[in-house]
Amino acid sequence: MAGVLRRLARISFLLTLPVGISVVLVSVFTRAGTTVLLTVGPFDATAEGVNFAGQILVRLIAISLAIGLFGLTTDPRSFVFDLERRGLSPRFAFVAAATLEAVPAMVVRAGVIQSAQRARGLDTEGSIAARLRGVMPLVGPVILSSLTEVEERTLALEVRAFGRPGERHLLWFSPDSSGQRAIRWAMVLAFLALVATRATGTFPALP
Amino acid sequence: MIEIRGLVHVFPEGTRALDGVDLTIGDGERIAIIGQNGSGKSTLVRHFNGLLRPTEGRVLLDGGDTANTKVARLAARIGLAFQDPDRQIFAGRVRREVEFGPRNLGLRGQALERAVDEALAAVGLADQANANPYDLGYSRRKLLALASILAMRTPVVVLDEPTTGQDARGVRRVQAIVESLHEAGRTVIAVSHDMRFVAETFARVIVMRTGTVVLDGSPAEVFAESNWEALASTYVEPPLPARVGARLGLGAIPTESGLVEAIAARR
Amino acid sequence: MLELRGASYRYAGYAKDVLHDVTFTLADGEIVGLVGANESGKSTICLVASGLAPASIGGALTGTLTVDGEPMAGRATHELASRVVVGFQNPTTQLSGVAATVFEEVALGPMNLGLPVAETLARTREALATLRIEHLAERAPMKLSGGQGQLVAIASLLAMRPRHIVLDEPTAQLDPEGTRLVGEALRVLAATGTALLVAEHKTDLLDGLCDRVLVVDGGRIVAEGPAATVLADERLLDWGVEPPARVRLDRALRARGFEPSAALS
Repeated sequence: MAGVLRRLARISFLLTLPVGISVVLVSVFTRAGTTVLLTVGPFDATAEGVNFAGQILVRLIAISLAIGLFGLTTDPRSFVFDLERRGLSPRFAFVAAATLEAVPAMVVRAGVIQSAQRARGLDTEGSIAARLRGVMPLVGPVILSSLTEVEERTLALEVRAFGRPGERHLLWFSPDSSGQRAIRWAMVLAFLALVATRATGTFPALP
Repeated sequence: MIEIRGLVHVFPEGTRALDGVDLTIGDGERIAIIGQNGSGKSTLVRHFNGLLRPTEGRVLLDGGDTANTKVARLAARIGLAFQDPDRQIFAGRVRREVEFGPRNLGLRGQALERAVDEALAAVGLADQANANPYDLGYSRRKLLALASILAMRTPVVVLDEPTTGQDARGVRRVQAIVESLHEAGRTVIAVSHDMRFVAETFARVIVMRTGTVVLDGSPAEVFAESNWEALASTYVEPPLPARVGARLGLGAIPTESGLVEAIAARR
Repeated sequence: MLELRGASYRYAGYAKDVLHDVTFTLADGEIVGLVGANESGKSTICLVASGLAPASIGGALTGTLTVDGEPMAGRATHELASRVVVGFQNPTTQLSGVAATVFEEVALGPMNLGLPVAETLARTREALATLRIEHLAERAPMKLSGGQGQLVAIASLLAMRPRHIVLDEPTAQLDPEGTRLVGEALRVLAATGTALLVAEHKTDLLDGLCDRVLVVDGGRIVAEGPAATVLADERLLDWGVEPPARVRLDRALRARGFEPSAALS
């Protein structure tokens, strides 16, 4: 977990940034309020707006941190196969695992396609406009070859009895310790407590 | 002319794919580059058009260092046909696909049409100009990918595994194309595993192993018996005529016609 | 034993048949080669012989596929999977992409069959041993070379304990070393009684490997017989198939009036 904090910060920042900017701008300038801080054209930035924007931003950051942490610390395979052990159908488990693994494969494929098109004079090192134009001859082959690959892979899987109904006896298992179990339960309880205090108003309203 | 001096290429993850290559390729040569997978063949040819840049060493094209020239500009002088046509074909019509390369190089109007027509004729797809590339089988798609490079009329044409997956007609078509390119004075460089194709079609063979050139000469020189051990070390088996010729005491003659002549002469 | 009788097949959504009245038999322990030009129907025959056409990809099949005496019409793909498996030319698409090691990859098939853990482990070990790739067991499947990947793909098929294996251009993307490895593996398989159908362009490979060879042209079997005879057929090139180097050399010498067996021995 520790080694992941820096990457986590980066990913959360990247996830939050686009949405965050627009939300902040909208809130600050259009939220109804009386304490005007500054005026830009027809828009007033109000203190209430800033307060509201602050609340939203913190929530966004919390969400992206959670998503980021999950993505970075979970091994897709053990997660998915653990789900299967707990009752998820094997077919679904496979699809989930394969989806998580699909992105790196696509990135590699896109790289090869881009090289081939560059060798035909496609300019990827020029202006933004040139680069945008350059995307078109890449999209087709990436999608098509991905689809063809999916077709072939599907056949290959069927050959290995993938579609067979019924349970299977997995070779995999995720090591679980009592310590980890304790932490999980603690987190669930903390969450419930938070919801309860919020609902009954015993906590001061936190952003 | 392409000059490679002290070329070293180390990939980001640490693989030393090229470990000091020195090479000179003259205009109009027909060269085959052979050697096991991982010997650096594909890595080497991708330096010719700038897709890969040297970690150390230099790549000179007609005397000028390619280091500061964009790939898009080098593409006007070095055409590279990739092994898998499906990693390249994007247009809905054969004609449009072939137009892409020359268009990027600035060809328009009649000049563009002529370049496309000639390329399609050379690969035997003239009558399929309006077909959807994916309605053609794999062999013809591979020829289509080749046509897309031919239409760019580059002085140097590099072919990455042009005969892999091709049937007999496809292979012969590729051989004919290499010959006509040679007759037109263009330089042809091919990376290949097909020893018969290599021995019969090319005048010079470069053998690579673990990132360096281990042999460089005519097919007869490279496939000579004295080199068989070196060839075996990079998993290259000499073509059948060479093996038969050696067994008959005629020397390792790499082509069928050559061997037949030698047997006839001995009689 | 696998028997295809009078098979004519049309892909889903297509107006015309791609195969016409194809009939052949694969006996246990036999290696049968399948050659033909691209688009002649080689791949389609592989799909039909394995039952995937029409069971998985749809389409219309007339004629019968019988495996070990039982008709395969209407069977689900996983039922076919235990009797006849098919391998394709791209090593990467045959690997599931969800196995961390080669061992897990090869174990996937038996696991899918719902076998108990002990049985799965036994079959996996056996498959790796048969193809002599035990040393690859802990490697990441997606990081192997083409030749190694193809061997793992074949081992994964083997772990299903199929009596019949169909391979569609298994060495197409491999270098000569990879090709050699696969060829050796196929010999070992045949020796264990498995029936093999191998579609290939590399007639040199098939020359030393196959007992019989089938030639397909325009969706029909146009020649069939012992490998040496069929691969020496004069019409091979007309059918878009390059004869093996040995045959070409033989012919070139005969054309010059030489007795090749004396020259080539």
